[in-house]
Amino acid sequence: MSDFECIELDSVDDVSVVKFKDQKVMDPARIEALGEELLSLVDAKSPDKSETENQANILINFENVRFFSSGAINKLIVLEKRLRANGRQIRLSNLRPEVRDLFSYTNLDSMFDIRDGQAEAIESFEEK
Amino acid sequence: MVSESKEFMSVEWKYEQRISSDPNLCAPIVEQLISKLDEFGWADKDAFAIHMAVEEAIINAIKHGNECRPNTTVHIKMKLTGEQFQATVTDEGPGFDLDNIPDPTNQENVEKCSGRGVMLIRHFVDEVQYNSRGNSVSMTKHKSN
Repeated sequence: MSDFECIELDSVDDVSVVKFKDQKVMDPARIEALGEELLSLVDAKSPDKSETENQANILINFENVRFFSSGAINKLIVLEKRLRANGRQIRLSNLRPEVRDLFSYTNLDSMFDIRDGQAEAIESFEEK
Repeated sequence: MVSESKEFMSVEWKYEQRISSDPNLCAPIVEQLISKLDEFGWADKDAFAIHMAVEEAIINAIKHGNECRPNTTVHIKMKLTGEQFQATVTDEGPGFDLDNIPDPTNQENVEKCSGRGVMLIRHFVDEVQYNSRGNSVSMTKHKSN
């Protein structure tokens, strides 16, 4: 798969699994780049990819993330809306308790389906 | 101006600076704060909370207070010890009315990409005070047990 500056991308059971390269997701320039890379997963229907890959659901695995700013949350909101408009789904997993608390307190966990671990999150795509 | 009190061993870190209203200037300040929180032995949970509150206060001051006008500044004061964090962030804007901020957790607002700053500051620190004009926020957080 393509090389990205801000994310690592893998494919597990037809799900695109995204991990952040940065432990601190807070630099505005990096967050802009992150947003573009995330949207490229939705928008770019690459002829090099299979139809399954072009329509894959997305899991964002936070295992590497210690700090996460509001600007980065906004990029996830834009991504979720774009995926929803395309009939695709997103899950979040492996959030530290304090990051999970951020999503709970802002009620963003009503928008994002958050799971404890990656395997559970991938399985959950089958449930709906 | 950045001042650091270093005596026998660091017992206090003080920071004071006026920055121009450029959102890109926020991250290096918060990075420096995070390294000091680590140095002073603050737990990850507390460090996350303080980073979030300070970042929101600075970004709010730059974007909403000063509206990113290039000739304006944001005044940032921070003081950190092993037990307590205090900060004051002041902009040059007209201030705002705390009672007229839409609730960002309401379903019609959740998907919006702005409007969470004031609520996040209140959530992540122990004490928050605004001056009467509404252009300066002061916050205090005590180290968790």
